[in-house]
Amino acid sequence: MNDSRKNNDGLSVQRLTALSLLTAAALMIYAMESMLPTLIPVPGIKLGLANVVTLITLKRLGVRDALLVLLARILLSACFFGSLLSLLYSLSGGLFCLLILWLVNRLLAGHYLFLTSITGAIAHNLAQITVAFFLTSVGGVFVYLPFLMISACLTGLFTGLCAHFTLKNLPPFKNERF
Amino acid sequence: MNKLPFHTKNAIILSALITLLLLACLCSIAWIAVRAKNQSLVAEIYQNGTLIKTIPLYLVTENQTFTVTGENGAENVIEVRPGSIAVISASCPDKVCVHQGFRSDSLLPITCLPNHVVIKLRPAKDSDASGIDAFTY
Repeated sequence: MNDSRKNNDGLSVQRLTALSLLTAAALMIYAMESMLPTLIPVPGIKLGLANVVTLITLKRLGVRDALLVLLARILLSACFFGSLLSLLYSLSGGLFCLLILWLVNRLLAGHYLFLTSITGAIAHNLAQITVAFFLTSVGGVFVYLPFLMISACLTGLFTGLCAHFTLKNLPPFKNERF
Repeated sequence: MNKLPFHTKNAIILSALITLLLLACLCSIAWIAVRAKNQSLVAEIYQNGTLIKTIPLYLVTENQTFTVTGENGAENVIEVRPGSIAVISASCPDKVCVHQGFRSDSLLPITCLPNHVVIKLRPAKDSDASGIDAFTY
């Protein structure tokens, strides 16, 4: 998987197609998730199913492609459904989450995807609450922290397992070394 | 233990850390919940980090509504009832603040992130009982 670096600087048709497909899947999941009613009325608590695609891309294609898919998904979803502010939240959460996912995935040598996913979800919520603190300048937003951490563990576990079983059943991309 | 591959060791450490974090969270939630059991509450409405309104909820006798307006047409309609407060409609897309409903405890602030509005409820201090509330200004 790692010798993909050789050709990574150019976008081959195959790589472009795979990444576009993953981005489209992530966008679809994101759109469908935003249509679900909010079960728990606490800002910031959501399932984060689009993270399944980030995890899959990270494991199958590596961190550079995961970053591309993540950025494309966040920018496009901000264009379609969001505002500038939600873009700021998604970007901070998404990027910090990916950084942690990448590090933990290396620490765990690609095993125990659910642990990776939980840590990523925690990182995501931490980054977002920090941005919320800087935007609102109200220290009270940190009261949400324990609730967000617990929800991150649950949703991270769920998305991690989703990604694990998807990876198990997803046929390998025709040529994973683009 | 020495036979375990390094990633399994890392996984054990990570699981332990996550468990610790969860325990800490549960403890702090319990602590917050205990502290929130206060009867007289004061609502503080913040916009962009500045306190714009203070309402001693225990002095409110009848329902009142008012609107907090912000940049780019942002609007939050806030209703005050004796002892509780809620955002009853908002211009933001997700309406999380509206779904939070009427709150009468200081457990969690009502937060509208898109419009930068935060309503904090805190226990009343002696200085709040002067009878001057936001409506008399």
